[in-house]
Order: sequence, then C-alpha cells, then structure tokens
Amino acid sequence: MSTKRCLWITLSLLIVVAMVLAGCGAPAETPPPPEPTTPPPPPEATATPPPPEATAAPPPPEATATSPPPEPTATTPPPPPEKRVFRATFAWPTYIDPAVGSDFSSTSSLVNLYDSLVFPNTEGGVDAHVAESWDVSADGLTWTFNLKKGVKFHNGSELMASDVAFSMNRLLTIGEGLAYVFLGTVDSAEAVDDYTVEFKLAQPSGLFLISLIRLYILDEEDVMANVVTPGPYGDKGDWGKEYLLTNDAGSGPYMVKEFPLEEYLLMEKYDGWFGEFDENAPDEVRFIATTEAATVRTMMSRQEMEITDQWQTVEALEALDDIEGIDIVAFPVLTEFYYMMNTRKPPLDDVNFRRAVAYAFDYDVAVGLEWAGTTQSVGPVPAICAGHNPDVFVFERDLDKARDALAQSMYADQLAQYPIEVHWITEVPAEEKWALLFQANMAEIGINVVIVGTPWMSVVEEMASQESSPHIVTIYVSADFPEAGSLLKVRYHSDAAPTWSQNEWLLDGALDQRIDDALATVDEDERYAEYRKLQEDIVELCPSLFLYDQVQKHAVQSYVDWPPARGEVIPVMGYTMFAPAIGIMGP
Amino acid sequence: MVSAKVLGSAQRSENLRRSWYKFSRNRLSLIGLFTVSLVVFLAVFAPVVAPYPQHASAFVDFENASRPPCRTYPFGTDVVGRDIMSRIFFGFRFSLMMGVVVLSLVVPPGVILGLVAGYYQGTWVDTVIMRTTDIFLAVPPLVLALAIASVLTPNLFNAMLAVSLMWWPWYCRLVYGLASTLRHEFFVASAETIGASRFHILFREILPNCISPIFTKMSLDMGWVILIGSSLSFVGLGVQPPRPGLGTMVADGSKYLPDQWWIAVFPALAIVLVVLGFNLLGDGLRDMLGAEEV
Repeated sequence: MSTKRCLWITLSLLIVVAMVLAGCGAPAETPPPPEPTTPPPPPEATATPPPPEATAAPPPPEATATSPPPEPTATTPPPPPEKRVFRATFAWPTYIDPAVGSDFSSTSSLVNLYDSLVFPNTEGGVDAHVAESWDVSADGLTWTFNLKKGVKFHNGSELMASDVAFSMNRLLTIGEGLAYVFLGTVDSAEAVDDYTVEFKLAQPSGLFLISLIRLYILDEEDVMANVVTPGPYGDKGDWGKEYLLTNDAGSGPYMVKEFPLEEYLLMEKYDGWFGEFDENAPDEVRFIATTEAATVRTMMSRQEMEITDQWQTVEALEALDDIEGIDIVAFPVLTEFYYMMNTRKPPLDDVNFRRAVAYAFDYDVAVGLEWAGTTQSVGPVPAICAGHNPDVFVFERDLDKARDALAQSMYADQLAQYPIEVHWITEVPAEEKWALLFQANMAEIGINVVIVGTPWMSVVEEMASQESSPHIVTIYVSADFPEAGSLLKVRYHSDAAPTWSQNEWLLDGALDQRIDDALATVDEDERYAEYRKLQEDIVELCPSLFLYDQVQKHAVQSYVDWPPARGEVIPVMGYTMFAPAIGIMGP
Repeated sequence: MVSAKVLGSAQRSENLRRSWYKFSRNRLSLIGLFTVSLVVFLAVFAPVVAPYPQHASAFVDFENASRPPCRTYPFGTDVVGRDIMSRIFFGFRFSLMMGVVVLSLVVPPGVILGLVAGYYQGTWVDTVIMRTTDIFLAVPPLVLALAIASVLTPNLFNAMLAVSLMWWPWYCRLVYGLASTLRHEFFVASAETIGASRFHILFREILPNCISPIFTKMSLDMGWVILIGSSLSFVGLGVQPPRPGLGTMVADGSKYLPDQWWIAVFPALAIVLVVLGFNLLGDGLRDMLGAEEV
C-alpha cells in the first residue's frame, strides 16, 4: 500500500513539474546541445577562443588584423569562425513563394532568396537593382525597364525579361500574399526583348515604381518544370505552388538548403549573386520557427543564435540585455499595432458601440507597457510613413464619453447578450497584457469581453472569411512600401479584406475607389493630400483602435554588425533581415 | 456480507470511534484531511480570505506588475499586477468544481453500467458494455480529453465534459468486477428465489456492498481529475482568462521563467498541494473503509 501511495505522490509531482518544464521549452530546432537539460552556461568571456573550430584550424594573425574593426566590445575579438552563420527566430509559418508569403518571416525570407527590379533604400526611396534603368511614357501608363545582363538564377540560367513578366503574371493570377500591391494597377507585363520588360498600367500610379520592391523575380523555366497538373490554374497546373513551398527559384543572395516546414529554413550563400556581400556576410542563414521566450533566451545565452524575433516581451528583452555580450537594438518601423474591429459583426456593426470601445480603452497605460520611446498612434498610419496625417482625431480614454456613445448604440440595453471576443496572437505573449487591459477597461462600461489566445496560423485562417472573423483581432501591420497609401489599401480596401491584415470588413465601394484614386495620383503633393483626407474619414468610421506606432526591438549578439544597430534602417518589412548586409564576427 | 442494520446509538458511536482510529493511526491521512479542509475553506471563503478578491476577475494594475513576493503580495504579482495569492484561492474553486462536477457526472453512469454488465455477466449485455469501456480505456486519457476539449469551445464546462467522457469507464470496470462476484453470493440468490425484482437486486442488494470501494476510488480520483483539469487549462482548453485556473496560471507564468519564478511556481505548488491532499485523504479513507485495493 505504501508503495502505491509513494507512486501516486511521485506521479502527481512529476506531472506538475512536467507542466512547469513544458513552459520552459527546449531549443529543439538547434543542433542538439550535449546536455539539453542542464542550465545554460554563462556566456564565455569574449577573449576565450571558441573551442572546436579554433583549435582545429587557428586563423593566421593577419586575418584578424585586417578584418574590419566594428567590434562592439572592448575585449579582444574572437578569431572569425570558419563558417559564418546567421540565425534568427521568427513567428511561423513562413511562405517562401513570392505569390503567397506576405508576413514578417515570409518577407524576411523572400528578400534573401529573390531579387527585385528595384531595391528600397534607407531614405524611403528605391535604387536600381536588377533593373539598370527605366522609362515611363508621357501618359504614365507604360513603364519600361532595362535589365542588367548576366544576373544568374541559383541554377545557373540567366535572368531574362520574360522571367520578370512571368513573375508578375503569376503573382496577379494567384492573387495571394503581396499581389494586392499590383492588383487593379497593372494590366499586363511582357518582355519586349531579352533584357527589356514593359508593364502596362490600368491607370497612372505614383507608387508603381516603389511597389516593385515587392515583385520577386522567379525563374520561369525552373517553376514550369515543376508544376503539378492538374491544378487550379488550368494548363499551368498549380503554377509551381507546391514546388515553391519548400524550394526557391530565385537569383537572390541566398538559396534554400533545407526547409523542414514548421522547424526552420536554412539558406546558404549563393556565390553567383550579382550584388555585393558585406565582407563578413554569413555563409549560412537559419530562420528558426519559435518565439518561445525560454528557448530564445537559452539559445542567445549559448550563442546559438544571433538575433531574436521582434516579439519578445519587454521583460524578456530586459533579461536578455543583462546577459553579457547581448545588446538590445530598437528602431521605429512602418508598423502600427491595431485592435481590428469586425464592423459586420454585432455589436461592433454599430459605430456608436465602436466609439464607446475607443473611448473606454486606456491608451496611456497600453503605450506605457511598450518599449521606451513608443508613442500612441495618430490615426491609421504610422507617423514615419510618408503621407501621414498628424491632425486626425485621436481617441483618449474618457469614460463619460464612452458611456454616452454606448447609450446611443442600439445594443445599449443588451450588453449581456453581446460579449465581444478578442483574439490575441499566442506567438506574441505580450499581447495578452493589452488584451487583459482591454477586458478590464471594457468591464468598466459594462461590456463583457472574452479574450482568447490564438496561434498565428489559426488567426490567418479565421480571417479569411467574414463569417469566421472574430469580433476583434490584435495585429501589427506593416506598410509594404513607405507610403500611407500602402497601409490604407491593405488595411481598408475590399481587395485585402480576406487577408490577415484586415478584420474590419468595411467593404465600402466608395472608400475603395478613393483609395485607388489616391494611389493612382502621380503628383506627390496631391496624393499625400488625398491620403490625409482618407485618414480623417477612416477615423470617423472608427473601425479600429490605433494603439501605437511600433518600435521594433531585437536582442542582438555584440559580434553581429547589424545595419539597424548603426541607425541604417530600411523600414520596409523584411529588409532588416537582408543577410548580405549583416556582418558576423563570431561567436 | 451485511446490508443495512439498525444500530443503537452506542454502537454507532463505537463504530465511528473505530473508523476514526483506523483513519487517524496514519499521520499522512491526517495531513491529507487537514490539507483538503484548508483548500475547501480557502475556496469557499475566497472572497473573504483573499487579500484582493477583485484580482480574480477582469483587473489590471500595471504599476504593481511583476512584484516579487513581499508583505503586500505574499506570493507576488503577475505581469498585469494581479495578486497571485488571491488568484490561487479563487483557482481552488475551479479546481474543486472540476473534481466535484466531473465525479458527480461520471460515477452514476459508470456504476449503473458496471452493475448491469456484472449482473448479466457472460451475456451480450456484458459484451456490449464492457467492450465499449475497453475502447475508451484504450485511448490515453489525456489525449482523449485534449481531443474532445479542442473540438469544443474552450471553457471550464467543456473541459469538465471532456474529462467526464474519459473517466466513467474506470467506475464501470470497478463495479463490474465487484458485481460479477457478488451476483453469485447467497443473499443475491435468496433474493432471486423469493422473486425480488431486478431493480431491487441491483440497487438494494448488490450496490450497497460496492459503496465503500466506490467512495474510496472517488476520494483518490479527486486529485487526478483536478490534475487533468489543470493540464487542460495549461494548454488553454480549460478555465479561460481572466478567471484564475491553476493550470492557466502555470502556463502564463512559464513564459516569464526563470526571472519571475513566482508567477508559475506558486500556482504549481498549489496544484501539488491539492492533488497530494486528496491522495493522502483517499488513502486514509481506504484504510478506514477496509477496501484493500481499488
């Protein structure tokens, strides 16, 4: 009997301990450490040489003397490793098909695997990339690009104008991911000759050139050799979608080496790339599918990764900052944090109800929970975005006004029957804090809120249809190019309604037309004026809570020379992870 | 075997005294009784004894977020500034509710099915009932509960339903074993001879003799049901925020380990306390009721 009792006690203890440990997690995606259960060793002093490679082949002293100086620590830099590796964590899933991927991890992968005609710069403009030069017709409807010669895809074939046309046509036909950038703007794309490609636009657009940073060029031959038939695209079969799920067909600085879905994406340097690598650019890039705080911290402290994802909580980042050899890098980006209200779902279909919610929320506390320097958003577009309107109405917490608005709503007497469901993203644990704050704030005016932690993949799925979209989803959305129009289109245009960047379901034809017209305005001042008017009118509709302009923050190993740490930020989503510009000087 | 008897009050108190002696000769049983009483007391009077009862509902206080254990907050506060001790007291409520509701849902059907199958041992009734229980027992219990709970909307009620669906076969098996032995006893045969109804035989003759093992198993199961309930909460399928499920609290706190250890550790210890308390109490009851092995 006593044996059995002991067994029961031991078992119950074990299960509870297992639950606690399950939360701690383990670095499953990294090469297996010798003793996964032992606590992470304290970071080695930087003067200590890393054991295996260094002893096997000590680099000549000249190598360290001539290597570039940007070592951030005062101690002697460790000798450069034989293979430079750049590892970072991301919220998954990652889609490396240019016609499918659109979120942070996907765009971060795309910029490394593919080339585009033009490349964004730190000033918010674009530089020539695969395109050498370009012309636009007097009516603004025909754009002609002359391509560089000798740009090679990863399989060795040359990048031709027909590949560019193919990539555009494929993107427009599939219509997913970043296709919204060109849908309604581009009529046709065709190759004039081997090195000249021509785009015909439906209407003039002041944004066409900058939006081309999102046209990632595929190798037509490679894709068509791997189509699966039959498929949804007629004689094109699946148009290579299955193939491009785990393979690339690009010419970018890196190429896919291994991609076990849901684990990691491993890319290796493509020596035939036409661009310039940083002297210390990584030979291998590994994007790891986790944002779990304990795992990330363990890997950082063991120098098993270089840059964390941007979704670590302030608490986790502060703890990482305390570890020697790890710095926190924070910089403003074109990203805003929204509470997206489904305007088609009762009770949020009533604008007065939405106003009540907007007045009841405590923005000051919400902003105070973020990294120092974060500010409340002014309207639906981040302040650093060109065309931002700084004069729109900004909601501030005022419970009296909230109650007044609520009293005017048609659901005033039926609050108990209409609980609001808020879905926050479980990969971003800090979002739970805002959700709890929201719940507590709404309780003060009698609105019952149910908060549900939902994995990113499920959120993307449920937002694909109006019926399955929840009342509120809390999401960060980034502009795909540094102009207000980009965000206005993706956030409020009906074309983007079934994507993860929109839960509002405004489906307002007149608004769509105005957004399209604004985007088509070639004159910059006029275009910006239209953006500003649109922002005012959107705030009137109160379809979202505009929480704050994001300060993107990462913990970074001090042996990494990362452009944003030097203040050189390309604020377009994905480009901060452009590996050829990253220098790896350790561990 | 004995059925109900009229006892004199002296004899009744003598029986009670003996039972208490059997129970109390093992100190661990007393510790179990004390622990369970304490947990029940804290759960029932949580609004009175908890230092900050409002922290168990929609409440945030970011000024006091992530405070380590101190005099004001003996178990510290979580990342939104809620007192962990108060939330644990309220968490006991959901844990106990889980145990009580699940057992009251599973015991009657499990026992009745077990009785019927045991009495009709060897017939098709026995085959149908017992093979069905075998199917349920073939699936690992937590996996089955997770599968059911994830199909339904995640909330406390559905978590209870999920655990109930996986728990009844154990009672069915227990009572089946007892009933299939008892049906061959003389007092059952006698009842059949004098023409007693099937209902009378099942519920007035056989069932009273199965009561003590059933009670013992119930007291031992309380801890396990609470543990499974906490496991469901841990993965987000049980008690929903802001209500304080112990499993949910451990899950939330685990994101902030090891720096803010108190957020996960105290709720985890609370689970240990409840489960251990019920198991020790169950052992004591088994000794007292004389059921050797359940």
